[in-house]
Amino acid sequence: MSYEGVPGVVETNEAHGETTLVVDPARLVEACLHLRDEDGFDFLSDVSAADYLGWGSAGPSGYIGNAWGRDLNRPSTAGYQKVPAPKPKRFAMNYHLLAIETPPRRVRVQVWLDDGEAVPSVIEVWPTADWHEREAWDMMGIPVSGHPNLKRILMDDDWEGHPLRKDYPIGGEPVRFSEAE
Amino acid sequence: MAIAPERTAAPIYEGSRIPQPVPTLLQVPEEIQATGDVLEVNFGPNHPSTHGVLRLIVDLYGEEVVGLEAAIGYLHTGFEKNMEQKTWWKAITYPERIDYLSYQNNELVFVLAIERLLGLEVPPKAAYMRTLLCELNRIHSHLIWLGTAALELGAISMFWYCFREREMVVDLSEMVAGARMHTRYFQAGGLAEDIPPGFYAQCRAFCDWMPKAVDDYERMLSRNKIWLERTQGVGLLSRADAIALGQSGPVLRASGVDWDLRKVQPYLVYDAVDFDVPVYADGDVYARYRVHIDELRESTRIVRQCNDVLEGMQGEPWIADDRKVVLPPREELHTSMESLIHHFKIVTEGYRVPEGEVYVTIESPRGESGCYVVSDGGPKPWRVKFRAPSFVALEATATCMRSAYVADMIAIVGSLDTVMGEVDR
Amino acid sequence: MAVDKPLRDLGLKSERVLWPTKGPGKFETEVDNLEQRVGLTTLGKAVAWAHSKSMWPDTFGLACCAMEMMAIVSSRYDIARFGMEAFRSSPRQADLLIVSGRVAHKMAPPLRQIYDQMLEPKWVIAMGACASSGGMFNNYTILQSVDKIVPVDIYVPGCPPRPEQLMEGILRLHEAVQAGVPPAYELRPVAS
Repeated sequence: MSYEGVPGVVETNEAHGETTLVVDPARLVEACLHLRDEDGFDFLSDVSAADYLGWGSAGPSGYIGNAWGRDLNRPSTAGYQKVPAPKPKRFAMNYHLLAIETPPRRVRVQVWLDDGEAVPSVIEVWPTADWHEREAWDMMGIPVSGHPNLKRILMDDDWEGHPLRKDYPIGGEPVRFSEAE
Repeated sequence: MAIAPERTAAPIYEGSRIPQPVPTLLQVPEEIQATGDVLEVNFGPNHPSTHGVLRLIVDLYGEEVVGLEAAIGYLHTGFEKNMEQKTWWKAITYPERIDYLSYQNNELVFVLAIERLLGLEVPPKAAYMRTLLCELNRIHSHLIWLGTAALELGAISMFWYCFREREMVVDLSEMVAGARMHTRYFQAGGLAEDIPPGFYAQCRAFCDWMPKAVDDYERMLSRNKIWLERTQGVGLLSRADAIALGQSGPVLRASGVDWDLRKVQPYLVYDAVDFDVPVYADGDVYARYRVHIDELRESTRIVRQCNDVLEGMQGEPWIADDRKVVLPPREELHTSMESLIHHFKIVTEGYRVPEGEVYVTIESPRGESGCYVVSDGGPKPWRVKFRAPSFVALEATATCMRSAYVADMIAIVGSLDTVMGEVDR
Repeated sequence: MAVDKPLRDLGLKSERVLWPTKGPGKFETEVDNLEQRVGLTTLGKAVAWAHSKSMWPDTFGLACCAMEMMAIVSSRYDIARFGMEAFRSSPRQADLLIVSGRVAHKMAPPLRQIYDQMLEPKWVIAMGACASSGGMFNNYTILQSVDKIVPVDIYVPGCPPRPEQLMEGILRLHEAVQAGVPPAYELRPVAS
């Protein structure tokens, strides 16, 4: 399947049997309309946002253990065997599309955004994007321009902060053990 | 392969009923608002008939629903953020609790994503057992759906009948994995433990009993005048609207779209077992009910076929051999130094999954359930996102609720088969 | 009236007048040892017995534990034996609040409102690990134990607890009520 005609595509990646089209955010709606009308992707499966702050900062650590990146006394702090390739910007917004035909075709449309940079809404293309985009705003703080009802959806209406960001703490309480008291 | 292929997908209603400008918000028309007779009612998070903590803010004009807004988030658990803190192995306990009625399917989608990133091959015995357990889970989920949906519409006895069979299903889970719900039986690479020998006979007994039980349910409901009056013609969703709204699973199949990921995009061993996919074109609550009932029968068929194959596979390995990811068998720890080291590293440090991103979808009882995983090559997931079919199903409430009465509202929300754990994650 | 004489010596003469050879009638022998046939108790114990034998729960199923809570109503575990199958939807009619499932911060005000709407005496069972302590979710959104907002009588551990475990918790609550233990709101404030 060739994605030559899709406007705004900056890059095409293929991995694990999946195709990723990296699209310029300003031309996202154009690209989505093309994919829906010309290429038959009439089903928007999912809109996922990812925050890449601190990507690769754990550093490499060898299999035996180096002076950095690993502490035997704290499990799961092992570093990487290979430092991952850096990402272009902090946030990625991924649109997973599906064409309802036999055999099915799937594609991922990816846009890269900085903190505070808005992504245009694809609600006109697929109405189901409504709540997905609200969740991306609520959880990641990615503003969606052109969304008719951009309110918080999972957190309280007056919650401050965007919980799924990497600089937002996990929260919770320290666990107290009775012997320690 | 549809059970009712002769029903053509003629449009149920003209045009699109998706509200504008906000697709998920049904707004009161001007002329009705001007009468001053509109009553705003809150079907709060604690309500016996909303299948969990769903809040519906409804505007009523007499008995008719003219405005609807669904407010969610009352069960937001922060699964995705918690999973980023745990190693890949420990994180498998979290997805189960997302959709707590079909826990095996959630486990499966996450484990399949890990395996795709690792490039790990699963032995056939594990694939068959995973299929069997996922289909048992589908039966479990549909039974609870049927019991509670019927309970809300007044057919109270269905609750006890369905839970009688549900107990048989969780007995099988308990036999295999030790826990009734949230079994945590799937590992990256296969299954956690071997299948106990008494399982096959009990599973076969269940498969023999189940069709009679489904006959019982049909005898009670399918031609029951009250049931038909309350469910036929209610909650209409046309084919085009369903696709535009991202519906999948029984809701989509009840709107006339022959789409089941087990058939078009087979995973595990669904291409090796024989089953049909029920499709009905009416798009109403009754069609969704019929899809669920037929799926109960089809799942029993799949369970029986998998059970027969598995009985011949006793003694085969149930988990992959890759020692960098999978724990070695305990007997080896006494004799082999490499096994000891592997065991130590996997337990303390966790295995590392190569860098990449992957989106895996399966057909859960509610529809297309997906897991988007980003790995940075480390021992913990970088980002995990679950595509919850119930989240998307609730987006369709405003469309289905056109010119519905208050009593129909309960039937419609019930028929969309939502699980709030999945909606709020 | 002297109470040390058996009743047959106090009256009921008519039968004997008409039929002198007949011995004491059935009625007389039955009321003979009346004191041994009547239970004597205190008002408190009687009321506690009534409370525990028909303690109606409120439908407060939140998450996975709600499935096991529904299972105790089902025929295998049958909570109707203990008079509790009538799950009331309205908190005004309920005695027992079984908080089954994880409580998000967004859900905490409705939970407290439901608790306040229940009439006294009322009891709370925190079912499952999430209601008892936050469970496996130690994060920004889950309330680390519902005893931060409502006083809890019984904590039932498990994830989710088996129906038998929940019933054990409920039966211990019944025993506590019959033993005279007051409901939790009289014993302790909510945790801060």
